[in-house]
Amino acid sequence: MDENLVILEAKNMYHIYESLSLEGNVVALRGLNVRINEGEAVAVIGPSGSGKSTLLKCLGGLMKPSSGSVSLGGREMIRMTGNELVKLRQETVSFIFQDSNLLPDLNALDNVAQPLRHQGVMPGPARAKAMELLEKLAMGDRWMGMPEQLSGGEQQRVAIARALITNPKLILADEPTGALDPITSREVLELFERLHKEESVAFLLVTHNRDVAYFCERSLELRDGRFVAQHGTDFDMADLSDTRELIIDETGTITLPPDLLLKLGGPGRFDVPDADRDSLKLERVEDEKIEVTSKTIRVLAPTCPACNHDYSDSTDQLCPECGSSRPMVQA
Amino acid sequence: MDLHYQESHRPTRSMTYLEAVKTGLVKTGDFRGRASRSEFWWNFLDYLPIAPGLVIVNFFYTGALSDLAASLGNGLFTTLIIGPLLYLLVFLQLFLFFSFTTVTIRRLHDVGRSGWWLLLSPTVLGLLVIGFFLYLEGESSKNKYGAVPTNAPIEASMGEIISAIPDNLSMSARSAWIGRERVLAVFAGVFLASLVITTVLAYSAGLSGAFLQFSLQEEIFDGKVDFAEDPDPDSEGRTNDSTLWESTCSELIEMEEISDCGLVFGRQGVRVNGFFDEGGIIPQPLNAVGATGTIGDWTNVSWDYPEAYDSGPPINDRRTIRFYGDGIWDGDLGERHANRVIYGSWPSSGEEASANRSIILPSEIASKAGVGVNDTIDTLTFSYTYDYLGFASIATGFDDCPGEEYFNQESGYLYCQVNMTVYDLKVVAVYQEGGAGNPTLLFNPIMVSDSVLTEDQKLTLMTNDHGYLGIAIDRNELPASSTRAATDWLDGLKGDIEGVNYTSGNDIMIEYNDLISGTIGFLNIFLGIISVFDYILMIPIVVLSFSVLIYGLVLSLEQRRREISIHRVIGGTEAGLTSMILRELAVVGVIGWFTGYLLAMASVPVVLDAVGFMAFERSDFRVVPTLSGLVTLLIFMVTVGLTLLFGNSRTKDFLSIEIDEGVRRVATRKKSRLWLHLIIFFVGILSFLESWIESNGGLGPITSSGISSNFIVDGLLFLFGPFFLWIGGALVLGRIGAAGPRIFTTLFGWSPVLADIKRGLKGSGSSESVNRLAIILLLTLSIVTVAAVQGYTGTLVDERTTSAQTGADLQVQFEEPVSQQRAMQEVTLAIQRAGESEIDSIDYVTSVGDIFTNQKGEGSLLRTWILFEGHENTLQWDEQTIPGDDIDLVSAQWSSFGFTAGSSARSQLDISTKDIGSNTTIEYTSYSFGGLDSDMNPIITTTVTAAEITYMGGHRWVPGLQSSEANQAIVIGEATYKELLGQTAVESYTSNRWFFELCDETQKDCKDALKTLGVEISNGVGVASSSNWGTNHEANERTGGLIFGTPGLLSLQFVVASLASIASAFVFLSLVLSQRKKELAILQAIGASPQQVLRLVLFEIMAILLVSMGLGVILGLAISEAFNGFFGVFGFIFQIFLGQSAPIDRDLVWPWTELILVNASVLVAVVIALLFTTRRALKSDLAIVLKGE
Repeated sequence: MDENLVILEAKNMYHIYESLSLEGNVVALRGLNVRINEGEAVAVIGPSGSGKSTLLKCLGGLMKPSSGSVSLGGREMIRMTGNELVKLRQETVSFIFQDSNLLPDLNALDNVAQPLRHQGVMPGPARAKAMELLEKLAMGDRWMGMPEQLSGGEQQRVAIARALITNPKLILADEPTGALDPITSREVLELFERLHKEESVAFLLVTHNRDVAYFCERSLELRDGRFVAQHGTDFDMADLSDTRELIIDETGTITLPPDLLLKLGGPGRFDVPDADRDSLKLERVEDEKIEVTSKTIRVLAPTCPACNHDYSDSTDQLCPECGSSRPMVQA
Repeated sequence: MDLHYQESHRPTRSMTYLEAVKTGLVKTGDFRGRASRSEFWWNFLDYLPIAPGLVIVNFFYTGALSDLAASLGNGLFTTLIIGPLLYLLVFLQLFLFFSFTTVTIRRLHDVGRSGWWLLLSPTVLGLLVIGFFLYLEGESSKNKYGAVPTNAPIEASMGEIISAIPDNLSMSARSAWIGRERVLAVFAGVFLASLVITTVLAYSAGLSGAFLQFSLQEEIFDGKVDFAEDPDPDSEGRTNDSTLWESTCSELIEMEEISDCGLVFGRQGVRVNGFFDEGGIIPQPLNAVGATGTIGDWTNVSWDYPEAYDSGPPINDRRTIRFYGDGIWDGDLGERHANRVIYGSWPSSGEEASANRSIILPSEIASKAGVGVNDTIDTLTFSYTYDYLGFASIATGFDDCPGEEYFNQESGYLYCQVNMTVYDLKVVAVYQEGGAGNPTLLFNPIMVSDSVLTEDQKLTLMTNDHGYLGIAIDRNELPASSTRAATDWLDGLKGDIEGVNYTSGNDIMIEYNDLISGTIGFLNIFLGIISVFDYILMIPIVVLSFSVLIYGLVLSLEQRRREISIHRVIGGTEAGLTSMILRELAVVGVIGWFTGYLLAMASVPVVLDAVGFMAFERSDFRVVPTLSGLVTLLIFMVTVGLTLLFGNSRTKDFLSIEIDEGVRRVATRKKSRLWLHLIIFFVGILSFLESWIESNGGLGPITSSGISSNFIVDGLLFLFGPFFLWIGGALVLGRIGAAGPRIFTTLFGWSPVLADIKRGLKGSGSSESVNRLAIILLLTLSIVTVAAVQGYTGTLVDERTTSAQTGADLQVQFEEPVSQQRAMQEVTLAIQRAGESEIDSIDYVTSVGDIFTNQKGEGSLLRTWILFEGHENTLQWDEQTIPGDDIDLVSAQWSSFGFTAGSSARSQLDISTKDIGSNTTIEYTSYSFGGLDSDMNPIITTTVTAAEITYMGGHRWVPGLQSSEANQAIVIGEATYKELLGQTAVESYTSNRWFFELCDETQKDCKDALKTLGVEISNGVGVASSSNWGTNHEANERTGGLIFGTPGLLSLQFVVASLASIASAFVFLSLVLSQRKKELAILQAIGASPQQVLRLVLFEIMAILLVSMGLGVILGLAISEAFNGFFGVFGFIFQIFLGQSAPIDRDLVWPWTELILVNASVLVAVVIALLFTTRRALKSDLAIVLKGE
């Protein structure tokens, strides 16, 4: 794949939350790798607590991972300072959240125009563009509504318009339909799909919802801060085992999803009787195969390795001739 | 490609003029980043002509507005609306200056220099260096101030930029309005600060004004206009035509500053160069010589007036007379004269005066002559000065003197004075003689309409230089901001008046003698100290408003956490978000400032009228305090500027947490420095102890000089200690206040009612904001307490001082010793004359006898004062002066051969506290003259009587008598007196001094009646002088039985702090509670009923409040005590200036009613706020609240 087309790439990303609990700090992301190409829609699925929100924030440059690298639009974000980072974000990504997160003090139009205002665009042009977007999203007649006067779907559409106004290359969405009723969420998804198809905007969606994942080219399964598997467009949310493709990353790490582990008969040690190209076979080791055969006995060296002085029976630790220390050797 | 690598390059293109100016305007106030050379120099070229241009435009603009203001008059509208408008262009200038400074700083950043270099700009060398930096090409790589400037033009038209400003502002205003709850605290802080600072400054200006008017009330004329040259055949600019001279007035009145003018025949022209010029004492007034009439006895009248020598330079010691032209009777001058009239009425116009042939007499002349209003005088003779001789030529004598010679012993000049007589005058008014004013015009003249003079007489007077013009200036025009400004203004006026040739008077040249600037000059230093005192007094409330501001700021920022994160997500930069928040703060700040400013300007006249604590009385002085533009600007800078400054730093802290951490981590909490708070508190407590010990005369081994006897250390402790106590106390006690719930649960933990709450409280722990609420309440309530205690105490001190000075409602001193019956007779007559309904008869009367005795066996005489039975009904005793505090008990002891002694008398008798109850014998020696013996020597028989008296303790003063004399005297009762002088002594007793009890002097009606009666009785037959409680109290309140201006300020403090405590309780509670919305929702979610939650919150907050309020009041009481030393230091300074000593100690009095009222209203406000906010918090959707960020 062409290097230039990669919009987002994270390599070996770790994130650790400091915590004062007994268990010590919490590792949210463990050496996670991901790459999203321009115009690609990717869903991230996984149980709660698997680190989805942390992932989204780290990828979007809202916070810095503890280690690893994230590059957005081909630019490495880790060493960037406040303003450069903001500028990069302004140019490349937009966020959409479960609850629309509209600014409560502003009406729909100003909410949509706000990102442009942050970029220093004058209010006139910014509002004009916002109006255009709102009309495109069939919200043209509701532009003066304050967030609390809008319904959930309307709010989300305003949030989407707000996300689109900066012409982002990538939209990071956290459960975009989570707070919506099925019909509204279907409308929102259709909108996503249209954008994806027509404007070739890349999407990274965190979701529980099968419908959401449906329009994505692929879905990544996140467990315990690591992508364990990938699924195609058509999969069953309730039973991921059928469509699962396990991921082995560059460091050779492989994580088995719980259902697979269960099927395997729980944790244990495995022989690798058959490891060929593109195929791996594992066999549980039933018995304790590895035994301790002998115990190594170590004694003081009989001669000095430096000057060949013969210690004979003496127990000196230092060579009387050259002063070098007397090593231990295998008996 | 490594994108962090910064290429070495400079911008590829330079900015055009329009781009540069646009960038400059848009980036105003944005000191970050760098500016290229093209950007800077285009702005420089732009600013160069605009800056001076605006100054010129502003000149015309302010001129036009001032004219508008002048045409509208000096009303509230002018002060409030036109006043601020005057500074509109100044603000624009400031903005442009600021904008240009910003560009300059960014340019300096471009060459890698700090903006602080600009501080060198006032020096020539600095300018050169800065100019050189500005000229240099910028660094071609990223430096610590940011990346290389791109010179990218702003993608907006100029119109859009300008239209974006109101858009941004309206956005900020809108968001401020929507989030009004959170900005309310900020608003309250700015509003309070602006209100208080403006008030105290305007108050200080107004106080100068009021004080000026008070000091000037003795002055009727503000200026005396004379011819510029002495009368001489060849002198220029003079006329002997009095009509022509009078017409000059019409030209003078046209001057804005002069409100009234009129011709006067009186003192000769005063032309003085320098202080030692004798021209100040040579010119003579017209003197009254004699009068005849069918009514009254004019032979009884003395025309001497020696008091004039006592109060001024040796000009003349005889009663003066003035003839007034038409201009004097009406207008300002007429009004000022009329104010002093006690009988009859001042003629309202020149016509009326001349039709009646009016004469107005001083009360002393009228009462001596026995004439009243409408009585006629047949002839009135007066003398004018024809010529004079100095010391050197007195021996030669006058060549021809058509009149009599008068030698002025004090000045050493010999005058030739000629008599002149006028006929058929009618007394139309009698006026109350005032005190000494400016001596130039001499004091308390007889005033007559000049129409009674014939033309020949007028000509004679003019020829002898006796005609001058009396001037009244518009005293409201006098700059009240400082006395310095006022004197400068008067100097300018003198120049203006003298610099003109008056054409209507045939090129008359005049000399202006200012009569009031001397008074003003004297006030200068004095008012300075008063202002400083007032400023210091207001420090606590200013600090309070700023702490409300800061805490409000922090709370409101915390409320915006979610909003900020949203902005961050949609691409808000730190700078952008900061300026967004600051813009909102600026909008709120400006509104708060302006509201405070308006309210302050409107309320200052009211505050100025406060005489006692919380008693706002209309005074006789109309003062319109104005603040100069500079001061207004300064207040604006301090209030709004500080808001932005605090806002900037707080926002930065806040945003750095939000942006760097990404997620909300536990914010690093600054560890508060408890040890520092404790040290401050400790120093404060020291000052409290010192003050307490000193006022209680020692504690154990510590004497009454206190812990430290060093004057400087004491002074510093008294000045700063109270503030330390206040701040330290609030910080330390705030912790206890915040722990209120824990205290209450420990105290009442046994109660089953609390069991529920106790469980709920576990873990809820007092948050930081609760701690702040406790501190704010401590601060406010302690201010309320201090203001109430000190204000109330001050009011009582004024009253007690008056009682100590006057002794009774009325004290009358007669010229000869008179009997009680005679004294009462005279007072009864005065009561009838006064006709006040409040006083119709004498309730009680007494006197204090005065004899000399000696201790048995001792030769030295002892001054002995006698208290007659029933003295306590009349004399106003104070518990501070008597042994013990029960006057009835002490009186009973006096009546049964007890005595008290003043401090000197105690050492003379060698008695001290331990001798109380011991007896001593005093002797009285009476001398009787038994004719002459054979050697023609007088036969004198001496009779010695003795009385044994019991020592009761010391007295400090006796009401109405000099406290210095009371020191040397012992006081005995009537019984002892009778034993010494015989049983009939009381019946035949006569005295110069009598005291009268007439009404309840604390009532306003009684006070007013006493004032009128005081005037009446002083004109009574045989009355030397009188003093009454009403007049003395008024003087004490206004000119400082205590300290000037404090009643108003303390009342203001009380009102403002009370309102602040109620408002801040309300605002902070709602903020604190909405912060805890989530906690409350969780409680509900886990099954607590709304009532339980309500009870829990109510209990927690109320516990904090009750503890804080209690501690606040206690702290306030302690600070009041500590402040007593502070008041003492300033009182001492004022007493030096006034040359008076009030005998009353400043014993604190606690106004419990006011304190309870305030505390109760705070509680009520809090309960309402609690119910209101808690209910709302409970009503909000649980799910939404719990879902969180």
